[in-house]
Amino acid sequence: MSDFSVRSDNVDVEQIMRQIRSRIREKRGVDYTEEEIRELANVKLEKFIDPKGVRSNLLDEYRRVSTPEPPAPNYAFGEETLYETHRGPIRWIRALLRPFLKMLFNPNPLIQALHIQAELNQKAAERNARREQLDALHYEVIHNLVVELTRTGVEVKSLKMRLESMASRLDFDERRARALEGVVQYRPGAVPPLQVPSGQEPQRRHDGRRDQQQRHERNDRNDRGPRPPQGQQQQQNRQNQQNPQNPQNQQNPENLQSPQNPVQPPREGVAGEGNALDNDGNERRARRRRRRGRRRPGEERGPMGEGRGADTSGADAAATPAESSDRSSTIDNRPSDQGGGPPTAPPDVPSE
Amino acid sequence: MKLAIVVQRYGADINGGAEQHARYIAERLSRHASVEVVTTCARDYVTWKNELPAGTENINGISVRRFPVSHERNPDDFGRRSQRVFEKTHSIADELGWLESEGPASPELVNYVENAANDLDFVVLFSYRYYHSWHLARRLPEKAVVVPTAERDATIGLSLFGPIFRGVRGLMYNSHEERAMIQAASGNTSVPGVVVGVGSDVPDRTDPERFRRKFKLRRPFAIYIGRIDENKGCGELFAHFQRYANAFPRGMDLVLIGSAVMNVPKHPRIHHLGFLDDRDKFDALAASDLLIMPSYFESLSMVALEAWALGKPVLANAKCDVLKGQCIRSNAGLFYDNYEEFVEALYSLESNGPLNARLGRNGKDFFKRHYAWPVIEKKYLDMFSQLSKESAASGFSRKIDPIPGFFARRKRDLPPAEEILHTIPRGAA
Repeated sequence: MSDFSVRSDNVDVEQIMRQIRSRIREKRGVDYTEEEIRELANVKLEKFIDPKGVRSNLLDEYRRVSTPEPPAPNYAFGEETLYETHRGPIRWIRALLRPFLKMLFNPNPLIQALHIQAELNQKAAERNARREQLDALHYEVIHNLVVELTRTGVEVKSLKMRLESMASRLDFDERRARALEGVVQYRPGAVPPLQVPSGQEPQRRHDGRRDQQQRHERNDRNDRGPRPPQGQQQQQNRQNQQNPQNPQNQQNPENLQSPQNPVQPPREGVAGEGNALDNDGNERRARRRRRRGRRRPGEERGPMGEGRGADTSGADAAATPAESSDRSSTIDNRPSDQGGGPPTAPPDVPSE
Repeated sequence: MKLAIVVQRYGADINGGAEQHARYIAERLSRHASVEVVTTCARDYVTWKNELPAGTENINGISVRRFPVSHERNPDDFGRRSQRVFEKTHSIADELGWLESEGPASPELVNYVENAANDLDFVVLFSYRYYHSWHLARRLPEKAVVVPTAERDATIGLSLFGPIFRGVRGLMYNSHEERAMIQAASGNTSVPGVVVGVGSDVPDRTDPERFRRKFKLRRPFAIYIGRIDENKGCGELFAHFQRYANAFPRGMDLVLIGSAVMNVPKHPRIHHLGFLDDRDKFDALAASDLLIMPSYFESLSMVALEAWALGKPVLANAKCDVLKGQCIRSNAGLFYDNYEEFVEALYSLESNGPLNARLGRNGKDFFKRHYAWPVIEKKYLDMFSQLSKESAASGFSRKIDPIPGFFARRKRDLPPAEEILHTIPRGAA
């Protein structure tokens, strides 16, 4: 996350907010606001409850539930309901004639039946209201699920884009590293090779071995003391490869794996045979890998997943300071091998 | 000059925004005029229960006269009436019923002020939405100076209040956004009004280390001060902060000061300290890196002003026009509309020292320029002086629209208040 530079006494809050929003847009790839995510979710919800896909009347049902109907009218029926009126004289006459009416027929079953019916209506209305509330809750749950799913989908898409971007950058770096290694190996002037890149032609690999042996001999003369003859050494290497459990092999300082220098897991595009060819070069490569490995998990991350310091996003060609030092350390080794002379070509221009 | 300040609740320990505002103004204006505060016996703004004794008492040198509330608020009845007037087509009678149900209904208070009006130069009415303001503004329009403390909620869309805003003597607004909203809702541009706000008694010296020692807070933190309430945006704040805390294991903590009416999430980086006295509050502000104001509705955030007075930037909710407008005008705060903006703005204020310091300095300047007590007092006195001159020159000619007759009052043809609210333009002024 890049910081805002406060260069003068005048800061403009609106300008800062515009920068913040543009940065959010860059990170997300697409600028979806909460409202837009909800709109998207609604679209998905429409799809989700598409009658073709789910149930013929589900969409209508959900829409109906979201606008609940008013409860059906009910009535209250008691013992006096049949005889009630708001007019006093009529009420009096009815009360007067009620015994006569009861003599003609029995209204009690009718009153009871209507009373029970009114209670049943009331219970049914309550049950319906509860169900409608539950339906609304279900609708809400599904709606929220779709919103969250949409949000997750957007994030996944964004992460995929970032992953692709990082993969391409990694690929670019790999190719760049190989190109640099190639430059070091095939420079005219008998510079000892640092390592053999994978996928080299056999003749070149052979040349590389020969150069390597020459360098070993030179180094042995200089600082390692006496060494077995060339053929013997090759034989010993072969034996070591065939029998990795050999104690002699374990004690070989060039194959020894110290706790401080654990074996790095094999990486794509790096041939295992390269290690056998050039132990010195292999050590350098391992060091470089270790440095990369140490650097990557230690990078501070911003809230949206980017580094905290200077914004390095999008700077494919411009390497980070750590990468630069890593590269320069590789390049700087060449003159030291040659006796400290200056490099004859820029580090990233392959000069065969 | 003799003034009556009428407010729904009053007391040194009553911390509602409008009530505290009224107390500060009363205490400051008492240096220039004879001030009497007229209020109710209520302490609780939900029930309006009579808890304080009726009669006169003296609070910080101000004479305070209390009157009992005639009935407590019935939440069910008030809820039903609110639903009717805010969401449905309704009548003026419905709105009057809503006002009575909202309370604090105190006819004795209204009668007292009306009878004492002859001896008063002006009656300063706090909070337009309550019973006392509406009734007194209608009875004494020539003396009523209203401090609306209006928020962007549906109440502003009720037809009851348009005549009040158009008919009173003057209006003391809290912010430019509030003025724009009221003018859009009522069309009262001809009524004298000024954006004033309120100052704060910020101490000259604070001791942030003392606060850190007392509450054992070692890490940098953002602070929220106020009632911890869903309506104040605290739910959203907690959700955003928890996501931020997961993304930023070494980021800042959140300190909450104020009584909680919702659950505070149990999180190792969220510290709820409860209600603190002023000394602790200001020390806490001084110890913080920034103040977060998540509220959606504010007419003026006093705590934001206090943060600026102490040179702390503010991170405000952009959904609140007033806070956003203040951040823009002061150049002393950032604002967020969603989680991404929240986390980016918070990180910017946390990690960028020069930006934080610059915004803090801007806030300090803004406070001194607009909210220092001499500025506030002068604005009130200028307004009273201007109104007095107008009275002497031409008299008061504006009239408040009369309440319709019996049948017209009951005709249900008024649109829902929320519909009216949606027609009022949004955004920072």
